[in-house]
Amino acid sequence: MPDSGFPWPIETTRLDNGLRVVVSEDRTAPAVAVNLWYDVGSRHEPAGQTGFAHLFEHLMFEGSVNVAKTEHMKLIQGAGGSLNATTNPDRTNYFETVPAEHLELALWLEADRMGGLVPALTQQTLDNQRDVVKNERRQRYENVPYGDAWLRLLPLLYPPGHPYHHATIGSMADLNAADLATFQAFHSTYYAPNNAVLTVVGDTEAAEVFALADKYFGGLDARADIPAAPDGRTVPATGRPAVETVTADVPAPRVYVAHRTHPFGTEGYDVTTVLATVLGSGRGSRLYQRLADGERIAQPDLVGAYGVDLAHAPAPLIATATARPGVSAERLRDGLAEVVDELATVPVTAAELDRAKALLSTMWWRQMSTVDGRADTLGRYATQFGDPARAADRLPAWLAVTAEQIAEQAAELLGAADRVILTYLPEEN
Amino acid sequence: MSLIATRPGPGAARAYRFPQVVRRPAAGGQVVAAHLPGQNLAVALLLLDGGAGREPVGKEGLGAVLAKALEEGTAQRDATAYALAIEALGTELATGLDWDSFQVSVQVPVDRLTAAVELLAEAVRTPRLDPADVLRVRDDEATALRMDWANPGPRADAVLRAELFGAQHRWGRPLYGDPDSVAALEVDDVTVFHSEWFIRPGTLVVAGDLERIDLDALAATAFAGAGGGPAERGGPIDVPLAGQRRIILVDRPGSVQSTLRLGHPSPHRAHPDHVPMTLAGTVLGGAFTSRLNHLIREVRGYTYGIRGDFASSRRFGRFAVSSGVQTAVTAPALVESVGEISRTQLTGVSEEELEVARSWRAGQLSVELQSPRAIAAALSTLVVHDLPDDYHARLREQLLAATVEDVSAAAATYLHPESLTMVIEGDAAVIRDELVASGLGEVADHT
Repeated sequence: MPDSGFPWPIETTRLDNGLRVVVSEDRTAPAVAVNLWYDVGSRHEPAGQTGFAHLFEHLMFEGSVNVAKTEHMKLIQGAGGSLNATTNPDRTNYFETVPAEHLELALWLEADRMGGLVPALTQQTLDNQRDVVKNERRQRYENVPYGDAWLRLLPLLYPPGHPYHHATIGSMADLNAADLATFQAFHSTYYAPNNAVLTVVGDTEAAEVFALADKYFGGLDARADIPAAPDGRTVPATGRPAVETVTADVPAPRVYVAHRTHPFGTEGYDVTTVLATVLGSGRGSRLYQRLADGERIAQPDLVGAYGVDLAHAPAPLIATATARPGVSAERLRDGLAEVVDELATVPVTAAELDRAKALLSTMWWRQMSTVDGRADTLGRYATQFGDPARAADRLPAWLAVTAEQIAEQAAELLGAADRVILTYLPEEN
Repeated sequence: MSLIATRPGPGAARAYRFPQVVRRPAAGGQVVAAHLPGQNLAVALLLLDGGAGREPVGKEGLGAVLAKALEEGTAQRDATAYALAIEALGTELATGLDWDSFQVSVQVPVDRLTAAVELLAEAVRTPRLDPADVLRVRDDEATALRMDWANPGPRADAVLRAELFGAQHRWGRPLYGDPDSVAALEVDDVTVFHSEWFIRPGTLVVAGDLERIDLDALAATAFAGAGGGPAERGGPIDVPLAGQRRIILVDRPGSVQSTLRLGHPSPHRAHPDHVPMTLAGTVLGGAFTSRLNHLIREVRGYTYGIRGDFASSRRFGRFAVSSGVQTAVTAPALVESVGEISRTQLTGVSEEELEVARSWRAGQLSVELQSPRAIAAALSTLVVHDLPDDYHARLREQLLAATVEDVSAAAATYLHPESLTMVIEGDAAVIRDELVASGLGEVADHT
């Protein structure tokens, strides 16, 4: 068992304005990953403003005081870099990996949009990116079979008012109502240095990064009163399952079973991670063995289970299966529920546990095999747990999970009364 | 509050280097490896000359079915025991298929690589291929394709491919087959394909810390029981351009987006103009900052994204543009896309655009080639296309040396806006009249 999941150096500092800076030197390849985690996500959105955190992420690429519209992309790609950004319920991250000699350019670009976005934000830019995001919604959620499953699962898992009740992509109505002043205020409120973590991993050294961070970000002002998102740690049990059945233009019946577990980063969620792997990852998993191979009621490529790594409320565990031709939704639903139920009653064997831990080890080292993967991980642990070095604990924590803990968690959290069941039926039925 | 207004220039450039490559014959096959010092994870990939190009016409999907069937038990153990054994090492058996090759690989912490390659070889060389299992896998694969073909895209891709290359040829049909071609496969098709292409030794590709890996032992495992020499691979295929531009409408009633697939044939991979041609593709549609994405997404807001590129295999290539656009703007999005292709063909690229394209493509070599899996894929490219060890370093030099004249000449030569086939998958009743009125070309309905 490895002592550490992060055997690279980590150095940190905090600028006077509160920006935390994390550096991990690795001279293997002539590249550096630059990663910003902002502690703002869709959990901060009030009713009527769903989708705003994500739409805002798009606006961050559209120019700032010293950077013209679309120039950000041009400069990073023109430097040979890769870049992107993502928004989820918890946070928004921005990242680029560039040949090492362009580190300073990347830091300058990030500082300019952290400190200088509002004066450059125009109605025309907002309208254009609103259209882009609406097309993203059509492409990813509306125009594909089962594409809206996540949009349907969240409100079944979390009650109205809970920060995870609505999906990050937001509603078309709210996106249509988005006005410029709201976005200017959004930036002023959340895009402050003391609400962010800057991580740099790769062909550089801490002293260089700290000096550059101070040069480019040091002149930005901290913000004193950043509002917290609503507290979602406690989700009252309803005592009965939440069940939804959708008839839609889909090619076969599909069932999702979901439960609230523990927040990411807790010992309980480490158990969930291993449990999900035992249940639904790979051909040796219980779901595959029982539903795809054994009873042969589920399509082999479309059966699985996974936890969604959210840190600010009990995170979802989702198991799903799609019916083989001729298999009814009821039969599939019963089969899926039975396998989940058995996690509490049929002990996980040593072989099952070893298999899950081996798969998780490979997954961890795959994430660690690139500078960008490492930078995002350090940014996560610095943002969510206050210390990037805690990244080293995750893999050992998974490897320490026992079969008893899995059975206990299944008995405690995966009962029928706490279950969400979403079923899709083809229209022909 | 203060920001630094001056954009910083680059620091001193670091030398680019691709990992040290080791190539040698071993145990009756070829080994190609890259040394990644200190890397905890390792990848081993067996590269076989059993790509989709080897499938007979009418048997599309054979390789994909065989890939799944490999895991349905071996001479030594049944499917469940096999799954438990390989996953206990921390890997699944990953299979991949393109026109030129079939790849099977494992990815594990380096100390488990030998055991993982033993299981890889066991599945590839001695699969059980029990007839009942093969038929079940075939049916599952047909169902999986039916599911996939319910999404927008696969039908449009298939129509475009058939139009460009001719459905009478294997390369005019979908890479993974279609639901009907897979459903029609027989047990013998699968076992014969296996004995023809999966017993030859092939090439073992390894990416990892070679100080902790015994390549000879891996080769002995991977090539044990293999036999047969390399087969004739065939030369480039001459694919004619269409005589006129045309639109083919694939109906998807109620669709909120239209899926665009535009294309025409282009040269094969070994063509001497490969670098300037692909740079022209990068300027036109290969990057976020490209002409197409700038106009159709960033200026017009018609789409979440649009891409265009030249792609090529050993024997053929194609230029294609793909996007999903809001239904109401299907015709203007198409007109403006064709406009950008025509403009690029007629007037070439600017130095400013090319500077971004060449730096981006060159820089991507150091940025994207980090993980063992990415390095293994790069090594596979060397093998499939007969490229030298220093290919990536030389590619970098060629990219950086490409001039506006070279790339504009390639755009003029290899873009053919008048020969585009434009497949539109969307709500035909809503978009047909506008497409006809666009005057871009004759509109036909796909039946």
